Amino acid sequence: MGKYFSKEKWQYAFYTISHPMDGYYWIRHRDRGSVPLAILMVIVFSFCFTANRLLASFVVNDLDPRTVDSFYELIGILAFYLLLCVSNWSVTCLMNGEGRLKDIAIAVGYATIPMSVVLAVGTLVSQVIADDEQAFYVLIIGVGIAYGVIMMLIGIMQVHNYTLGKTLLTLFLTFVAMLIIVFLILLLSNLIGMVFNFFRSIYTEIIFRT
Amino acid sequence: MKRIGLLSKIISLCMAAAVLSLAVGEDVYATTLPYDTYNYDYREYIHFTPAAYIPSKTIGGAGLTWNGESLGNFVTPQDICKDAEGRIYVADTGNNRIVILNRDMTKVENVITSFDNNGAEDTFKQPYGICVSERGWIYVADSQNHRVVVLNQSGGLEQIVANPTSESLEEGYVFTPLKVTVDYADRVYVIAQNMFEGIMVFESNGEFASFFGTIKVEISLWDKFWRRLATKEERTQQQLFIPTEFTGIDIDPEGFVYASNIDATGVQGVRRLNPRGEDVIKKGENKNVGGDLWIDGRGTYAGPSQFVDVVYRQNGIYSCLDRKRGRIFTYDHEGNLLYIFGGMGTQAGTFSMPVAVEDIGGELAVLDATRGEIQTFKETEYGNLINRAVALRYEGDETAAVELWARVLELDENNELANSGIGKAYLTAGDYKAAMKYLKLGMNRDYYSIAYRRYRNEMLTKNASYFLTGILVLIVAVVIVKKVVKKKKGGAE
Repeated sequence: MGKYFSKEKWQYAFYTISHPMDGYYWIRHRDRGSVPLAILMVIVFSFCFTANRLLASFVVNDLDPRTVDSFYELIGILAFYLLLCVSNWSVTCLMNGEGRLKDIAIAVGYATIPMSVVLAVGTLVSQVIADDEQAFYVLIIGVGIAYGVIMMLIGIMQVHNYTLGKTLLTLFLTFVAMLIIVFLILLLSNLIGMVFNFFRSIYTEIIFRT
Repeated sequence: MKRIGLLSKIISLCMAAAVLSLAVGEDVYATTLPYDTYNYDYREYIHFTPAAYIPSKTIGGAGLTWNGESLGNFVTPQDICKDAEGRIYVADTGNNRIVILNRDMTKVENVITSFDNNGAEDTFKQPYGICVSERGWIYVADSQNHRVVVLNQSGGLEQIVANPTSESLEEGYVFTPLKVTVDYADRVYVIAQNMFEGIMVFESNGEFASFFGTIKVEISLWDKFWRRLATKEERTQQQLFIPTEFTGIDIDPEGFVYASNIDATGVQGVRRLNPRGEDVIKKGENKNVGGDLWIDGRGTYAGPSQFVDVVYRQNGIYSCLDRKRGRIFTYDHEGNLLYIFGGMGTQAGTFSMPVAVEDIGGELAVLDATRGEIQTFKETEYGNLINRAVALRYEGDETAAVELWARVLELDENNELANSGIGKAYLTAGDYKAAMKYLKLGMNRDYYSIAYRRYRNEMLTKNASYFLTGILVLIVAVVIVKKVVKKKKGGAE
């Protein structure tokens, strides 16, 4: 436990946010990052995301609170995280990427930290703004999300030792790979369901005949 | 079907609740109503409301006498209208006559079956629409005789509007008027069969002037894409993109024409046309003046509402009649849905085939073509309160409306218009906290924001001394802590 959540790992995570280039480089080459910490950050992000949707003030929030479900959002974000990491890994494996799965997981996980922070701050700020000050809120959220996306880009670039162009190309391919994976999962679950149904109908048939 | 299914579940639940409350011994009229009354909130969810209108009287032709004999049933009557003195005119289409009833529809005042046309006796053939002008002339859309007949109060012929000639009309066009209305300058607005180019306007001398309020056809990108792909032969086989026809028409005292049409998307079933023929209707919070919002599913009961008639009432309020589910939707001048009532069925107070709606001095009358009956509805306290409050708001006197809105809230806690009306009044009165509460309940984001800003300023000025002191204390504390830390470090070294 101490190994994954030690003071150094925490400090290094925040060092990575302020110095993404160096930070991610040493995460790859000196194992300075921590996968459990990254996963924790993704979970925190999901909570901040839900909190923002649910608690942001009436002035900026047009969502129906009945449509927000923190549990489903947590599951959804974790599943997306897993899917993103796995598909990026499978693409970069074929494209001479140096990163391991755990490096990718850390790169993506740490990149959610600025997003979580701005979502939380934005939720607080929204409590004290009126209509024509909405721009501040949008700006805060926008800057944070943009920073997170840039961090993710730099992270993937650094752990694989890619150029920017190649990173963008792999990200596009990652997107395609995600679609393929989702398609395969759907296909598989459908087929498994069919097989299951087949055996179940055999079972019922036997039950009825005896 | 899912939403409709859910709706029917909700309805049955409410019915059960209503029955229970009846058992307790309360006098609730909702239990005797043959239809549900509800409204849509900001989130487009259904919330059930008290009834705004309840069935009052059913008038059939058989119960009336004329010249000592029974008038006989109306046969597929298609239109009713009211004149300035409150008399009711019924276009008894199947019997080829016009029946004039007195104000409370207990007595027949006149029956017009024929008129004197230049010395020869002339009759109607399927008179479909009827309207009375300000000076009391009766305009009859005599559909199968292809003309609009204008009679004076004594039944004498004043004018015949027929055979419109214009370059914009096709060769051999047959003019079959269905609905008619007339404005303060005696211009005649006619909805004609198979006339997709809009409402036909005739000058007071009977000459065809122009088309009015054409409904533009909207072709989606997807349709355009397919048409691009299709060959010429295929294109001729495809359905034509024809604009929908208007179905009902009414005019307000300022000369704006309200015209209903059947919208396949359920977004806009009624138009408000300015004198230039442009649509100037306001669609309200939900961007919809098309009746029901929950229209999903398959089957005859699903699908968008089909407005067959519209009546302008007063103070910007107008009601539309839905043929699909027999409901009457009432909107205010901002396009807010005020209340919904009515339904299909065989009970008294429901319809088999509603075709026309008219405001008869406070009550609403709906004409049922299949049954040949006029069903009237009288307003309840709830409906009356809303009507009066909206009228006050229309005149710009929102503060006077507060009491009415407060009473509406007692009857219907979730009424967003009432909440927002009260909120606005608190805002003007300077009670920003209460204003915020009500405006939030009324989902009125703009005014909430104004109330909030004022509340925040009030709080800041009131507590300015605390804030400033707090900041000062913080600064001092930080400075002291820094010095102490420095000293400790210095001591340690």
